[in-house]
Amino acid sequence: MGLPLTISDLKISGDRGRIILHVDRLSIAPGEAVGVRGPSGAGKSTLLFAVAGLLPIAGGTVRWGEVELSALSDAERAAFRRQRIGMVFQDYLLFEELTPLANAGLAGAYSKRARRKPITSRAAGMLEKLGIGLDGARSVASFSGGERQRVAVARALATDPDIVLADEPTASLDREAADRLVDDLVRLAREGGKTLISVSHDPAVHARMDRMIEVVDGGLRETVTGDA
Amino acid sequence: MPDALSDLWASLSPASQDAIVLVLLLLPTLIVGAIVVAGYRPFPLVRALLWRFRWTNLLFIVLIAVSVGIGVGLIAQERGLRHGTARAAEKFDLIVAAPGSEITMLMAAVYLQPSDVPLLSGEVYGEIANHDHVSLAAPIAYGDSYGQSPVIGTTADFVTHLSGDLAVGQMFASRTEAVIGARVPLQLGATFTAAHGVGAAAEHDAHGDYAYTVVGRMQLSGTPWDRAILVPVEAVWDVHGLALGHAPERIDQLGPPFDADFFPGTPAVLVRADELWANYALRSEFSRADTMAFFPGAVLARLHSLMGDVREVMSVMAIVTQVLVTAGVLAGLVILTRLFARRLALLRALGAPRRFVFAVVWSYAAILIGLGAVAGLAVGVAATAVISRIVTARTDILVRAAMSWPELHLVAGFVSLTVLIALTPALIASTRPVVTDLRA
Repeated sequence: MGLPLTISDLKISGDRGRIILHVDRLSIAPGEAVGVRGPSGAGKSTLLFAVAGLLPIAGGTVRWGEVELSALSDAERAAFRRQRIGMVFQDYLLFEELTPLANAGLAGAYSKRARRKPITSRAAGMLEKLGIGLDGARSVASFSGGERQRVAVARALATDPDIVLADEPTASLDREAADRLVDDLVRLAREGGKTLISVSHDPAVHARMDRMIEVVDGGLRETVTGDA
Repeated sequence: MPDALSDLWASLSPASQDAIVLVLLLLPTLIVGAIVVAGYRPFPLVRALLWRFRWTNLLFIVLIAVSVGIGVGLIAQERGLRHGTARAAEKFDLIVAAPGSEITMLMAAVYLQPSDVPLLSGEVYGEIANHDHVSLAAPIAYGDSYGQSPVIGTTADFVTHLSGDLAVGQMFASRTEAVIGARVPLQLGATFTAAHGVGAAAEHDAHGDYAYTVVGRMQLSGTPWDRAILVPVEAVWDVHGLALGHAPERIDQLGPPFDADFFPGTPAVLVRADELWANYALRSEFSRADTMAFFPGAVLARLHSLMGDVREVMSVMAIVTQVLVTAGVLAGLVILTRLFARRLALLRALGAPRRFVFAVVWSYAAILIGLGAVAGLAVGVAATAVISRIVTARTDILVRAAMSWPELHLVAGFVSLTVLIALTPALIASTRPVVTDLRA
């Protein structure tokens, strides 16, 4: 089941100590699909990385359910991501030399022994649902962009996370592949009741979200519902 | 307790001791490796990284292999040369010569690197030959040559002492017959004229038409004597217009006993005693104002012990250069890991512990080092074979250098040291900023 997100007075500072993102207040319900849009450089990805616990925060709190992410150590935040968050990136970030299953089941390499088997079987299941064959030793190097991103989605869901964070998941894909990808991503996230936050410029992504938020000049300007 | 331990250690065979040392040297690698990868499965990723950057990785492996190979080759070669020189001196129990440098005489009489030395007189020779405990007293008269081969005047007993039975042909039986070493490029029945002197300074016409005929060939010995031509010592005297070692009525006699009044002299005498202890007695007896007696083996051992220090310095230097090369390689690795910094940042973003990234990078470096070290052993074997062949060809001392425990120990020590150094690039790679690398 998805986790609710509560942000209050979150401040993220840049390299020179300047505040590059300030989020006064943001709440996302469990299982909600939220799109984040805004001009390039406005801080959309910064927001995503902040709620993933990847950026040090200069002030405020980020709370996922009962867990105050902003109060955890680096190692604890990594453990939280490992157990609760799945991530999808614009340019897939797969290991080209590995098979789809090895990529999708990557988390097994660093997870506790007891989680390895479930991760591998979920990875295989997700690949199947996404229409990626498991034919033997073929590495993902020969895959098209759409196929690669579907492998990345399978990787994000293989650990059965409560939260899925996607950073421009369709930006590297052609229209057809992008539509298919966003359908798959939203469908699988909803099936699993996962909280989905997707940063995107793509109206096709926005159209499939429950709600949109806009990041402009390092702050949330408004919260809009439905299509942009 | 330490006594019991050292007793136990002493009771082990040398091979077991060497094997234990090898394991101990590899132990840091195994322990560090076990700790670093504990609980993780980094190897599929390591394999992916190895394959992705295969040409760069190959270059690194080759660099490590060459530096390890040179180190390994050097010490194997040094040992091979030491064994080879010792084997060449085996047959030379005790040398008696005019007082001078033992090393000069060792080089001349055993390794056939001639030099001008005073001669021993017939009286002294007679004294040695007639000594109660002397079973063989052979003159070794050098100074002439044919081509690359020194022509040595001696006795039939010495030839037998050197070679046992001849490989082919028979012993010289007159002043114009010669027995050749196994690697002398002459056929049985060939005739030749010796030059006075050796090498470039040899006077080729000095001995006119005094021709020798090859009548026998010695067994291969792996020593400089394989290149030598042995003739009766009387022939050497004859060629030089000297007395023939025997009274005029026995002018055609070859070999002992010699007549002191007609004995022109010899630069050295090889002496064999009938008993081991007698060698020591003979040595002290002939260490006096007009003679010098020494054990070539002992002189060689002194040289080797001197070389032993050099060897230790060499081993340390070999390790230092290898470690330096590896440090360079690891510095390269730090740069290389930047190439896959995004993939490592991805792992961190997905929630992989810092230690997992550390394990991936360290295992990757350790595998490069391990492969480099193993390839280095192969390079060492090949280099050793080539260098041995060259040294053997140049000195005629058969050098059989082979990989042995010291090389394995060197490589194991090298591996353990460098995988420890490899902790640094692993640490650097695992502490890089995740978001910065992810956005790169």
